[in-house]
Amino acid sequence: MRRRRSIFDIMREHMEELEEIAEEMFDRFMERPSWDITTHSLEPLCDVFVSSDRVIVTADLPKVDPKSIRVNGISDDLIEITAKMRVKVNFEDLGVTHRRGEFSCFSCRVPLPVPVDTSRARARFRRGILEITLPRKRGYEIKVE
Amino acid sequence: MSERVKIIERMEIPDGLKIIFGLPDVGLVGAIAASHLISKLKLKEVAYVKSDLLPPVIMLEKGLPRSPIRMFGNEDLIVLNSEIAIPSAAVYSIIESVVDWIWKKKAELVFTLGGLPIPNRHEIEKPKVFGAASDESLLKMLNKKEIQVIQRGFLVGPQALVLSFCAERNIPAVALLAEAFYNYPDPEASSVVIQVLNRMIDMDIDVSELIEKGEEVRLAMRDMMRRTQAELARMKKSHEYDIPGYYIK
Repeated sequence: MRRRRSIFDIMREHMEELEEIAEEMFDRFMERPSWDITTHSLEPLCDVFVSSDRVIVTADLPKVDPKSIRVNGISDDLIEITAKMRVKVNFEDLGVTHRRGEFSCFSCRVPLPVPVDTSRARARFRRGILEITLPRKRGYEIKVE
Repeated sequence: MSERVKIIERMEIPDGLKIIFGLPDVGLVGAIAASHLISKLKLKEVAYVKSDLLPPVIMLEKGLPRSPIRMFGNEDLIVLNSEIAIPSAAVYSIIESVVDWIWKKKAELVFTLGGLPIPNRHEIEKPKVFGAASDESLLKMLNKKEIQVIQRGFLVGPQALVLSFCAERNIPAVALLAEAFYNYPDPEASSVVIQVLNRMIDMDIDVSELIEKGEEVRLAMRDMMRRTQAELARMKKSHEYDIPGYYIK
């Protein structure tokens, strides 16, 4: 007789599927270079932290000119960070002699897991780390009886 | 000990040396510190790790193939360094085999250097170094050197295994962990760890270059950090943020 699957079995299966998809996407992301010769840009290391009322995005931007940092809201769940470096860096500076090309900026697009209000975003640059605070879009309040 | 991991000695290595682990982890604190020690002490490659648990990667140096996980040493100490993020599935076997080798070599003292992730790291001027050890006498040594011991909390990754395997085999081992960025290379954290190591084993390694060339280090270590971050996620490194269950005293 076929055993009926419990709701927990179904939830676990869904979680495993989701984890597999996330892992695959991460691996695919890893299997491309962190630099782009055609645009002379490096992709910065980024991090996204979501709290109850805001999303904080940080990016490691060594050797950049702070005045050149630009943060653009592309949509309510995507931002773009660009920054020019104070000096150009080539592969040889990084100890690689079999590739050619130089880099003059950082550039990346950061997808956000929840919608934000980019018009109220704040950004600061400290110790080489850019920190962008984006308020989350408000939903509606549910009255607690 | 895993049959699938071998430590190949390139030359005769005497017994009773100090061993320093500097493996990729949060902020690459250990890896950056290890590279700095190797460069400043002009250490030579003395052994390497060979394992089919590792991806098929070699390091090319001056056109010659080298293992990505190597030991560099002199007559006093050996530094274990990795040029790649160690796959989470291989960490257990590799650390177990290296600790077994260390046991056979009757190591005098083992250090594992690493980071302790803190979310507001960029607001901290000088990261603090915390310690943990394989036995009580070493905890006393840490206290004597005014290094705050982690009383309770989770440790995940290579240094967790180094400490626990060394404790099982009665090998004296100390973990030195600096407050660090989770996923950004943190040469400043590496510099404070080296300063504490200096105090513990009477060395005088200059760390000023690590600070002065911090931006270069951060730039050069981006890709290793990216791959390390992926492995840390697989190891559930975020356990270290967890508050352990409460015991009624």
